[in-house]
Amino acid sequence: MDVAQALEDAIEELVLIQKEINKLKTVSVSGQVLRKRIKDAHKKWLPVAGVLETSSIVDNSEVQEVSDAWTAMMKLANNASSKKLYKVQLKTIITKTESELLHKYIKGSAIQTIGDTLRRLVQPIADPEILKYLDESIRCAESNCVRASVVLAWCAVAYLVHRKLTSLGIPALNAEFAKMKADKGLMFRAFSKDYIFSTDLDVQEAADAHLILLCRFLMFLDDTQYKHLKSALDLRNGCGHPTGYQPDPMKLQAYYADITQLVLLNSKFT
Amino acid sequence: MLDKLKTDFDEIVKLVKKAPEPLQETAFKIILEHWFMANMTPLTPPPPPNNPPAGSGSPVPLGGVLDGVKPFLTANGITTIILEKVFHPIGAGAQLLASSIPGNGKTNQLISLSLLLCVKQALESGSFTCTLKELRELAVHYDCYDSPNFSSTLKNNKSFYKPREKGADLELSGPGLKKVGEIIKSIAAGE
Repeated sequence: MDVAQALEDAIEELVLIQKEINKLKTVSVSGQVLRKRIKDAHKKWLPVAGVLETSSIVDNSEVQEVSDAWTAMMKLANNASSKKLYKVQLKTIITKTESELLHKYIKGSAIQTIGDTLRRLVQPIADPEILKYLDESIRCAESNCVRASVVLAWCAVAYLVHRKLTSLGIPALNAEFAKMKADKGLMFRAFSKDYIFSTDLDVQEAADAHLILLCRFLMFLDDTQYKHLKSALDLRNGCGHPTGYQPDPMKLQAYYADITQLVLLNSKFT
Repeated sequence: MLDKLKTDFDEIVKLVKKAPEPLQETAFKIILEHWFMANMTPLTPPPPPNNPPAGSGSPVPLGGVLDGVKPFLTANGITTIILEKVFHPIGAGAQLLASSIPGNGKTNQLISLSLLLCVKQALESGSFTCTLKELRELAVHYDCYDSPNFSSTLKNNKSFYKPREKGADLELSGPGLKKVGEIIKSIAAGE
C-alpha cells in the first residue's frame, strides 16, 4: 500500500466533506448521502491505520488519536448529529493526519531509504579508514540521527584534509600558514592566526576552517569548491554544537554529495 | 602564449608601478594571475567535425553531462555554466542548489519542483523522471507540500508530464521540458 497516497486521498476526501457540511443550511447533518460518504471514508482509513500501527515511522499514540477522532465521528454519523460536532472532529482528523501522520511518514520514509542513497554516493571509496567513519555516519542516518551523521561524515573529510596537509611535511606546512597569513588577497586577509606545529598530531588542533582555507591557498580547491566545502563545514558545526537546527534527510543527502565530490573522491586529497 | 606574455609584460609592469609601493607585489601577482586565466588555452580535445561551429549564440560545450540530457540543454540554450547554478554536481549525485523554489504559492512551487527533480534525475540517469516519493520528500523540505491538493495539482498540470496512472512516477513531456528550461534559466539569472 502507498501509505502517503492513501493519507493524501483521505485528507482530500475529508476536505470535500468539510466543505459540504459547511454549505448545509441546517443545524444538523441528517442527509443519508453525506453520512454514507463519511462511513466510506472511514472504511478506507482502517487499513491505513493498520499499516501505520505496525510500522515504526510514526508515533502510535498519534495514530490512536486520529483513530479516536474517527470513532467519534462515526458515532455522529449513525444519527442526525450537530454540524458543530462534525466540524470539531473533521478539523482534528484533517490537522492531525496532515501534520502528525503524513508529514512525519514522508520524512520517516526518507530516513528509511537514506542509507541506500548515501551508500551509492560513497560506493567508489575504497580507503578503509574513510569507510570506517562513513559507515558509522550512514548507520546514524538510518537511525534518524541526522546531526550525528553529519558530524561523523565530516570526520572522514577532516581525516583526508589532515593527511593531505601533513604529507607536505611539518616545516613546509608551517611555512605555508605563514605565507597565507602574509597574503593580503581578498580571501586570506582576514586570516591572522599564527600556527607553529611540531608534530602531525598538532595539526588536529588547528581549526578545520583554517585548514580548508589553506587547501584553497594551496590550490587544492578552487573558489567555488572552497565555498561549498565551507558551507558543508558550517552545517557540520551547526550539528556539532547545541543549536535548534535539525537538518532533514534531504539536507544530509546534499551534504554527502558535496563532501564526496569535493574531498572524499577528489584526486587531490586521495 | 609565451610570446604574448613577452609582449604584454611591459604593460603589466607599467600598471603595477601605478600602485603604491607596498602593494606593488600583490598587484603584480593579481594581474599576472588574471593574465594567465584569460590567456590559458584549455586542454580539451578539438570538437568532432560534425559539431556546429562555435559562434554567437552557440552554447558552451556540455562536458560531463550525460548524452541523453544534451539535446534538452541544446534545445533550450542551457549551458553548463547556467546548469551549474541550479544543480551541483551536474552528473551522478546531482543536487538541487536552489534554497527556495520559484513560483507563487505552493501549487506553482510544487510544479516547478517536480520539473526540476525530473532534470535532476536526468543528470544522474539520462531519463527525465521523478518518483512521487521523492517529490513529496522534497516538497516537505521546501515547504511547498499541500497534501489535500497534491494529486489535483499534478492532474491540473498534466500537460507537463507524459500520460500516467494515478500514483505512477512522473516523466516530462515536451511542454514540461520547455517549461523546466525556462525555470532553470530564471533561477540561474537570479530571478
